[in-house]
Amino acid sequence: MTVTVSTGSSSSSLARGLRVTGMAVAAVLVYLIVLWRCLLLAGELTAGNSLAGALFSALTRYDEVGNAFLAQALQQTVNALSIGSIYALIALGYTMVYGIIELINFAHGDIFMIGAFLSVVFTGGIFGQHEGVHNIPFLAFLLLGALLFAMPLVGLINVTIERLVYRPLRHAPRLAPLITAIGVSFILQNIVLIIAGSGDRTAAQVFPLDWQIPFGGASISVLSIFIFALSLGLMLALQNFIRRSRMGRAMRATAQDQSAASLMGVDLNQTIALTFLLGGMLAGAAGVAWGLRFGFVKFDLGFNSGLKAFTAAVLGGIGNISGAVLGGFIIGFIENFASALGYSRWSEFLVFMVLTFVLVFKPSGILGQLTGDRA
Amino acid sequence: MKFAKLAVIGAALTLAVGACGGATSGAPTAIKIAIELPLQGSEKAASDPIIKGIRLALKQAGGAAGGYTITIPDSAIFDDALASSGAHDPQTGANNMTKIVSDETYMAVIGPLNSSVAKAQIPISNASGLTQCSPANTNPDLTKGDPAKAIRTKPNNYVRVVTTDDIQGPAAALYIYSTLGKKSVYIIDDTETFGKGVADAFEKAFTGAGGKVVKHDGAPKTTQDYVSIMTAAKALNPESIYFGGVTATGGARILLAAAQVGLGDVPFVGPDGINDGSGATKDSYLNLAGAKAANSFSTLAGPGTFDGKAKFDADYKTEYGIDATGYAGQGFACAQIILDAIGRAGAAKPGSYAALKEEVRKATIDTSHTYKTIVGDVTFDANGDTSQLIVSIYSFDPAGADAKGDWKFDTQVDAAKK
Repeated sequence: MTVTVSTGSSSSSLARGLRVTGMAVAAVLVYLIVLWRCLLLAGELTAGNSLAGALFSALTRYDEVGNAFLAQALQQTVNALSIGSIYALIALGYTMVYGIIELINFAHGDIFMIGAFLSVVFTGGIFGQHEGVHNIPFLAFLLLGALLFAMPLVGLINVTIERLVYRPLRHAPRLAPLITAIGVSFILQNIVLIIAGSGDRTAAQVFPLDWQIPFGGASISVLSIFIFALSLGLMLALQNFIRRSRMGRAMRATAQDQSAASLMGVDLNQTIALTFLLGGMLAGAAGVAWGLRFGFVKFDLGFNSGLKAFTAAVLGGIGNISGAVLGGFIIGFIENFASALGYSRWSEFLVFMVLTFVLVFKPSGILGQLTGDRA
Repeated sequence: MKFAKLAVIGAALTLAVGACGGATSGAPTAIKIAIELPLQGSEKAASDPIIKGIRLALKQAGGAAGGYTITIPDSAIFDDALASSGAHDPQTGANNMTKIVSDETYMAVIGPLNSSVAKAQIPISNASGLTQCSPANTNPDLTKGDPAKAIRTKPNNYVRVVTTDDIQGPAAALYIYSTLGKKSVYIIDDTETFGKGVADAFEKAFTGAGGKVVKHDGAPKTTQDYVSIMTAAKALNPESIYFGGVTATGGARILLAAAQVGLGDVPFVGPDGINDGSGATKDSYLNLAGAKAANSFSTLAGPGTFDGKAKFDADYKTEYGIDATGYAGQGFACAQIILDAIGRAGAAKPGSYAALKEEVRKATIDTSHTYKTIVGDVTFDANGDTSQLIVSIYSFDPAGADAKGDWKFDTQVDAAKK
């Protein structure tokens, strides 16, 4: 976890907030423009123009044809923000747990999967919804209900796992909890496999998919914006909690030095349990978003999503909260870039190539985290 | 006391040796057929009708052929799917085949479902000379050219009753181009042997017919965000979509994403990998797609209609209480072919299981013999491929399977009659 030496003055934190927001908006705009011109380039090449001509036009063309690609690029940027925020929410759980007890919790992806299943249980099972709900108050109730149902439950499952499995191993050699986490991952997968079976299960897409904002020749999905806004809200809440609350301070202290924190009267067990609770809740929210967006859940969903989110956490600098968010969005953007240009088969290759490059030149990840002797 | 113990042990040994001897010596009378299919996960939906078809054929033949009693006990049904992945696994398939060939009372094996599994199994069944009939493998490399030679050390033992993907893909291409009248297509495959193979064959035929392929993309089954991929597809304004792959590698997921970005009205066409049961079948494409399957089409690499179809469907329904779907007829045909071969092999009265097994293999691959199967007359060429170059096309029928939606036979294309 990033341990910022806070001056406590609200004006400096406001300035920092503005700076970060400005940089984020700039990054998204840069992506939008790069994707727009790349789409134009790809379009020109497909039309049979020479590479030089296509390159020239990709740099200089601002007529109607060029602008037609802008709508598409904007649409894809929103898609990228949407999948990126799902990755970021999961990545936060990896990085928080790592930050506090230096455990790579490989079961975290499966925690996300359980969240996705629980949201299906709530909307599809308890309320019997299968299609988009256009009645806004009822939709708000369903979404809020799914979040309030899945998030605490998943958080509690995560806390229970910590209590039963990781706590007894807290002082064991580092490999023991790591292997145990992989074991927990298999256990969770198999429990869901037994209950739900091994195929895809339909998730109720209660958020109406026909809610689209027309833009140019394309349309922007309101659902994508909703998912992004939801994740952003949760991330800000988390940030606020960690920076300002007493328990958040205890978390930061524990991350910095467990024994010193303990000496200062921080209840270690409680603080670590809280970390698992928060990580689990965010994964639960990601699960709800997943079901709304993709319309299916599966028992092994957590493996791939977990792997991507873990990659995101490492890319941003594992243990660093802002890094996890940044990493999640970067991976969302890379994947989206490949898909948008029609090279989906290369998307995983690109993701892991970027990861490798970053780790070669900056082993601690983009934002970095002083990890000392940590694994 | 000691003597008594020794006597007991001696007696037991004698019995054991006798029992073993009894099983191997003398001319065989009771033999078994093995079934090897994925029986967990989403592919179970495709395997179940095949098993039912096989069992029905054996039952109608009275469980006998060539003077032998033939059974398929439950222990003879092998599963090549893994619970952990919910899908077929070539290594598991190979291990199953090793088990099957080690039991000499098996005269033949029917299976597998997936070409990748067959690729791992053929070297084992071929070395042992065990007859293998697949009701569903469509990859051309299993039987044709150098790739086929590379997985065989002995004379051929493998036949299949479905035609190959270099026939199946083009049939879908011509259907989209000519019958549906769609002149452009967006292709997406699952980057696997089967999916990419059939999509490539499709692309070649579609371009050859004069159609325009707006893009051929690939998304492995680990893909998370199909919505972005389909957003890109939408921007290319395709008149149709072709998916190369199976339900387990993303068929229904891609359809859901396509519907989400506004491509729901565009025909969505896939190979036999998405023709895996009705909307009532758990884990099938139609079950997952629901009402969004309205514009879906699929192909089967075999005839969808044949002379005895009405009787077969009625018999199947009487026996199991459900409609025959997918490759049920092909399972039935494989069983018929093997029973026919056993019948002819038995005429020579082979004196041992091993000799009978070899006679069954020779009889099965006999290129001069015409099999009268449920799906029509079948002869095998030297590669073990069927003479029926028929691909059938299915469209979505929302009223089928008690309004849960089902595939409805539309037409069939015979590549041999061109």
